[in-house]
Amino acid sequence: MSKRAMAAMELKRAAGAAGLGLLCMLAANPAAAAAPADWNKVPATSVTLFYPGVAAMEWITKGTEHGGARALRKGDACADCHSEETAKMGQLIVSGQKLEPAPIAGKAGSIPVQVRAAHDGDTLYLRFSWKQPKPAGGARMDDKNPVKIAFMLDAGKVEGAGQSGCWASCHADSRTMPGAADTKKKYVKNGSLAGGVFYDLVQWRSGEKKGYDGYVADARVMEGGKALVAAEGKLDGDTWTVTFARKFAGGEGDVTLAPGQVYNFGFAIHDDHAAGRFHRVSLGYKLGIDTKADVVASKQ
Amino acid sequence: MSEQNNKDGKPEGGRRGGLFARLRRPSARWSLGTLLVAGFVVGVAFWGGFNTAMEATNTEAFCIGCHEMYDNVYQEYKQTIHYSNRTGVRAVCADCHVPKDWTHKMIRKVQASRELYGKLTGSIDTPEKFEAKRLQLARREWARMKAADSRECRNCHSLESMNSEKQQQRARKQHEMAREDNMTCIDCHKGIAHHKPSGMTEQDEE
Repeated sequence: MSKRAMAAMELKRAAGAAGLGLLCMLAANPAAAAAPADWNKVPATSVTLFYPGVAAMEWITKGTEHGGARALRKGDACADCHSEETAKMGQLIVSGQKLEPAPIAGKAGSIPVQVRAAHDGDTLYLRFSWKQPKPAGGARMDDKNPVKIAFMLDAGKVEGAGQSGCWASCHADSRTMPGAADTKKKYVKNGSLAGGVFYDLVQWRSGEKKGYDGYVADARVMEGGKALVAAEGKLDGDTWTVTFARKFAGGEGDVTLAPGQVYNFGFAIHDDHAAGRFHRVSLGYKLGIDTKADVVASKQ
Repeated sequence: MSEQNNKDGKPEGGRRGGLFARLRRPSARWSLGTLLVAGFVVGVAFWGGFNTAMEATNTEAFCIGCHEMYDNVYQEYKQTIHYSNRTGVRAVCADCHVPKDWTHKMIRKVQASRELYGKLTGSIDTPEKFEAKRLQLARREWARMKAADSRECRNCHSLESMNSEKQQQRARKQHEMAREDNMTCIDCHKGIAHHKPSGMTEQDEE
């Protein structure tokens, strides 16, 4: 073999060894990129999701319908008035007394959820756990998936997201609202992917056992995001635990996360084979990476 | 019986000579003191009578004597906290719709005489007519209450004395905002005693 050939072989071998070494290092050093070893050590935030009925943004911002419209105009967040009474609101709406023209008998008005968040420098980990409410039975809107859970993130670009979380995507003409076209998906005002005005949407579906990473701009797109790396859920008795791992940086339709920043955050659960508006939702909250917020993701 | 003239030839009691003479010398039989005391007592009786009659028109029973009120706003009011609550402290029609202090009360009572005209002409004597006029009537009342800075509400409720700790979260936040923005009760509490009319505009929501 020529000297050059021998050198090339040496180089290849060295490169190979280095690569192997790196792999070993990564494999043997899980803390570098991994979920918290003991989720029970991560402090939980209690959030009670509630059934929203037909309370679209158009209703919420109308003073003659909703006494809080004035507070919203002043800049208050929904949670400022409502955070302590979401269970009561859910019960009022699900029973058909208010904002629900087609109540489903036996449907639970609210679901208390424990939210835990953590990060390891380049990946955000979110864990949601909740007790499954008794199914109402009845027709299955989503035959494939008994349970879906989704969260949305916004970096302050979507109008109203700072006050209402994901609610800025809920409109009177969105599909499954009374009189709405079945093709009209969720959207945000002035939504534009190119313009950076969108919610980053991440969802896990129990039947398909799959995670989805999309966005809601001028319409909702379920896939195409590059940030979600893992989404898994399991049912233990009647308690669901769903964990998401999402890289800080993604691609188009992904909100870039950074330590020290606060993001607008909301999440929702579709249980009992529900679809569309028949979910339980959260008010708008803030997710902070290493900084004070309603839900805080601390470095592990 | 003929009158007895006194020495001057002027008639006793001043019948001839008119009112002015009468005023100067009202009576030979009764002393000034007696007349004054009697007048005072009669005045009190008449005033009391007038007041009793007027206050009778401020009672719930009087207001709901008209079917226009009984069938519509009274039935709605019966579903509210001002009608029945834990402590039994009530606000009836006049408590909100008639000012308590005398001057404003008199003004309001005179204005309210137009209601007699309305009753005679039957302007709201059917449910349909009532609903058709409900928004106009409600707006009139809201405007009156707003102009008086919700004076009647403040007969019982005091924003300054509200114990925020005892209020629920939403009520606490809303009343904080009311204090900050110098709002008046009726700005938010339309519909507290009767149904809100249909056709309200954003402007109605102050």
